[in-house]
Formats: sequence, structure tokens, C-alpha cells
Amino acid sequence: MRYTIETHDLTKRFAIQKGFADFLRHPFRKDEMSAVYDVNLNVKSGELFGILGPNGAGKTTLIKMLCTLILPSVGTAHVNGYDISKNGGNVRRSIGFVTSDERSFYWRLTGRHNLRFFAALHNYYSDDAEERIDELLSLVGMEDRGDDKFLSYSAGMKQRMAIARGLLNDPAVLFMDEPTRTLDPGAAQNVRTFVKEHITGDGGKTVFLSTHHLPEAEELCDRIAIINEGRIVVVGTLDELKAGLDKPDPGLGDVFMHYTGKEFERGTAPNHGYQGRKGMMGGGRHGGMRF
Amino acid sequence: MIYKKALSFIIRDLVLATSYKFEFFLRFFFMLFSILTFYFVSQLVGGAGTEYLEPYGGDYFSFVLIGIAFSGYLMTALRSFSESIRGEQMMGTLEAMLVTPTDTSAIVTLSSLWSFIFMSFRVLMYLVIGILLGVDMSNANVPAALLILILTIICFGSIGIISASFIMVLKRGDPINMFFMSTSELFGGVLFPISVLPEWLRTISYLLPITYSLSGMRHALLQGYSLSALAPEITALMVFSVVLVPLGLLSFKYAVKRAKMDGSLVQY
Ligand SMILES: Nc1ncnc2c1ncn2[C@@H]1O[C@H](COP(=O)(O)OP(=O)(O)OP(=O)(O)O)[C@@H](O)[C@H]1O
Ligand SMILES: [Mg+2]
Repeated sequence: MRYTIETHDLTKRFAIQKGFADFLRHPFRKDEMSAVYDVNLNVKSGELFGILGPNGAGKTTLIKMLCTLILPSVGTAHVNGYDISKNGGNVRRSIGFVTSDERSFYWRLTGRHNLRFFAALHNYYSDDAEERIDELLSLVGMEDRGDDKFLSYSAGMKQRMAIARGLLNDPAVLFMDEPTRTLDPGAAQNVRTFVKEHITGDGGKTVFLSTHHLPEAEELCDRIAIINEGRIVVVGTLDELKAGLDKPDPGLGDVFMHYTGKEFERGTAPNHGYQGRKGMMGGGRHGGMRF
Repeated sequence: MIYKKALSFIIRDLVLATSYKFEFFLRFFFMLFSILTFYFVSQLVGGAGTEYLEPYGGDYFSFVLIGIAFSGYLMTALRSFSESIRGEQMMGTLEAMLVTPTDTSAIVTLSSLWSFIFMSFRVLMYLVIGILLGVDMSNANVPAALLILILTIICFGSIGIISASFIMVLKRGDPINMFFMSTSELFGGVLFPISVLPEWLRTISYLLPITYSLSGMRHALLQGYSLSALAPEITALMVFSVVLVPLGLLSFKYAVKRAKMDGSLVQY
């Protein structure tokens, strides 16, 4: 395996939920939409790879396929040399997954209890686990708050715990799905700095990160893939992406416009009402965090 | 290693349960009421059903005490697996669990361990209170009762896992749960011996594992039957286990796969 992550024509089709009337009219017709279509990507070891796209572009679906949480409809992918469809166990052993979904923790347990539980699922127990948890809590700057209940944390602290959890098994690859989505600008900046310095930098890990935030992709990523309506429209370093344009000093927004013919912000694909909880998490309230 | 993993599930659930301190306490308190209800019902019934109750020692309160105590395991099984899986699916913690190397069968099995431990405390309390109210268990064959208990938990647990698989795919309206919830009290010999039923209805009883669990449990605890005398019940429960355990684990594997196809591991 030359690449840490390799995908071949990776495609995910979802059935479109039909209304009852539709079902009566065409009971056997199955309407499908491609959330991810024919994705071919290669990510090198130690790279900080970003996938940039507007809401509904297919970022989460792509990341979850690579984490074995969603099965592809067509195509294959290898992560750390393991086939995501045939060898899910080994893929999971070698990766970490960080969501921006705050609810993926037990809110009535402390941060430390949460980490202890997920460590056990990674087959780390007792002293091994405790050592690892202490190390991670101090790495993400949560050593003082580890014994407080998860529900008492701010959005930034919850995100730090999510990162700590993603690192429990010391994975070679860390998948991060919009890690700064719920954070205010200051906290988001701290996450970016942390990822750059401690996870790829001296952590030596490969990071596959999604974002819909242009400056974040610009600042953070070694290489960027732009995804729109499930398709990768272009991949390259920031300079490579900009080189194709004849405009002086273009930004990523211009790159997006160039390849899709749409404004980035208005490029939003219709979102089938699936992720209804966006925008409920007022991350902006929690200023002053180190993250 | 598996016992350490089991322990971490138990600790998680114990801490979660006790974080709702008031509910925890209330559940223990109100348990006493149902026992007392049946105690007074048995005062009313007196020796009326002796003919039917003879095979179980002849006393209605003893009969019904074992019935409500151990049928609780079936209710626990039907509720706990599907509730915990559905709960985790809605919260988003299921996905966080499934992205680890721990096997899905281990995850579903261990996530109900605490409920069964809690249920066992309850049963123990039932029995102690029963003894205080005059139930005679001085002849009990405890090892045989434990064997029947283990087989009971295995059978009921598998049914619970099958039910959880339906819930995972269908989200609600699971037929397994409805079937066992509605048939077990009527046909399983919980509140009255199945010999009361007309013969053609009794055939349904023989298809339910709970019938053998309760009958075996009563014979073992109240009358102290030997293992060989309990052979019919034990054999029946073993046959059910051999069928239900693989069925449960396979159906859950299939359900997780379906959810991964639909992308519905997190959904509410
Ligand atoms: N389980 C599902 N069933 C049906 N359609 C789905 C499912 N999950 C996602 N989709 C659809 O697939 C498309 C891509 O969704 P996805 O969540 O991958 O986008 P995203 O790029 O992560 O968007 P966002 O920035 O909003 O998180 C969307 O149109 C979405 O409605
Ligand atoms: Mg997303």
C-alpha cells in the first residue's frame, strides 16, 4: 500500500424517503440519490488532508464510509492497507473518529468516565487506560475538568473530549468531521493550532478532516479536495488549486466558483431534512476557552 | 479481557442509573407493592385452586411469587436490549461504540448486563419477602435453580436481542416484543398454572420458553426436585437456547449491516 487512504470509485446511494401518497402511486419505484459519487482519492502518510464542501455535499457520508460506519454502494477503499468493507475490524483498530456531534457522549457521566468506557471498547483497561487517559486529558488541556460531568462542559471542552476520545487507541489516522463547527472563532482557532501542532506535527498522524469553512481549509490543509454534490471536483495543494485560475490572488471561494460555476455559500445542495439539528448549538456563547 | 469489558459496561450503567438517585430509590420501593397485592389475592383464593396447584406444592402465593419474580427476566430482556440500543442510536453513542474494534455482538450483549443484574436483585428481594410472608423454600435445590436461571436468561436474552434487531431497522413497532409481551402472561403460567387452560390453548404454552422456565423454577425452589426430575424443563430450555442464541446474534449482525447500508446508525 503506497497510500494511507486510497479510494476507488467510492459511491454511496441513499434511498429517498417517500411520502405515503408517493408510495401508493409507485409502490415499487425506488428513488435514490448519490450522496457520494465516484470518489477517487489518495492520502499520504502524515498528510493533513482536507475535504471542503458546502452543506449536504457528502463530507460526512464519505468520512463515515472510511470509518466503516456506512457501507459503500459501489467502489472500494483501503485505510492503513485494510479494505473498509472486508476488514472493518482492522480498519477500526487503526483509526480514530472525531465528530462534531456533542451528543455522542454520556452526558451524565464525567469526562473521565466516558473516556474510560471508550478505552475499554478499544481494549485498554485499568492502569494502561488510566495512564493513557491522564496523558490525553493533559494533551487537550482538560486535566482539571476530567472529573466533572460531561453536561457541565462548554462546546469547546466537549470538542476537546471528542478529540481525546479519537486518540485513545493512538490511531495512525484520525478522521475529523467538521471539528470546529460548534465553536466560536477563538476556540476554533485553538483547535486548528492543536491539530496542526500536536496531531500531525509531533503526533505524526495522518489527518482526514472535513470542513465547510474556507479559511480553515486554507490555513490547515496540506492538500484540499473540493466536494460538491457528492463529486470531487478538484484535488491539490492550495497553490495548485489557485494556479488553474487567471484571477490575481484568488481565494478558495474563487477556486470553488471556477470548478463548479457556483458561489460557495449558495452551493448548498438540497438537504433532505436529515440533519435537523444544525444551528442549535450556540457555540458562540462559550468564549474564552483555550480551544 | 471480556470480563473487564463487561465490568466497564456495568460501571457505566450503574453510574448512569444512580445519577437518577430518586428514580433508583423509587423503583425499589414500589416493587414491594405488587408482592403485597398478590399476597392478599392469595388470602382470598385460599385453597380454591388446590387441584391445579398440587404439582407445585399447592399454595397459590408461592406459585404466583415465583411467577412474577422470574417472568420479570422476560420483561427485562424485551425492554432492555431494544431500549438501550435505540437510546444509544438516538444519542449518537452507538456510532461512537461501533467505530471501535469491539464486536457488535459483544456490544449488544453487554449493554443489557446491568439490567439483568438489577433484575436479579429484585428477584432476590421478592424471594426474601416471600419467605418472610410464609413461603416455604427449605427444600430448594439451589444449584438446579441456578442452572434453570442461566438457561432462562440465555433464552430471554436472545429473544430480547432479536427484538432489538427489529427496532434497529424498523425504529419502532417490533413484532417480537408485541408477541411475547402479549402472550407470556396468558400462556406462560405466570399467574395461574397452564393446566387451567383448555387443552387446545395449552399447545401455545408449550411453544414458549417461559412456560418451562417457570415450571422448572417452581419445582426446583418450592419442591426441591432433583436434576433428573427437572430433565424435561432443562432439556426444553437447552433446545430453545441452541436455536435462539445464534438467531439472536445473526439477526443483530444483520440489523447493524442494514443500518450501515441505510446510514441510519444515528437517527431519531
Ligand atoms: N441516511 C441517509 N439517508 C438518506 N439521505 C442521506 C442520509 N445521510 C445523508 N443523506 C443525504 O446525503 C447528502 C450528503 O449528506 P452529508 O451528511 O454527507 O453531507 P455533508 O457534506 O456532511 O453536509 P453538512 O455540511 O451539512 O454536514 C445530503 O443530501 C443528505 O441529505
Ligand atoms: Mg456533515
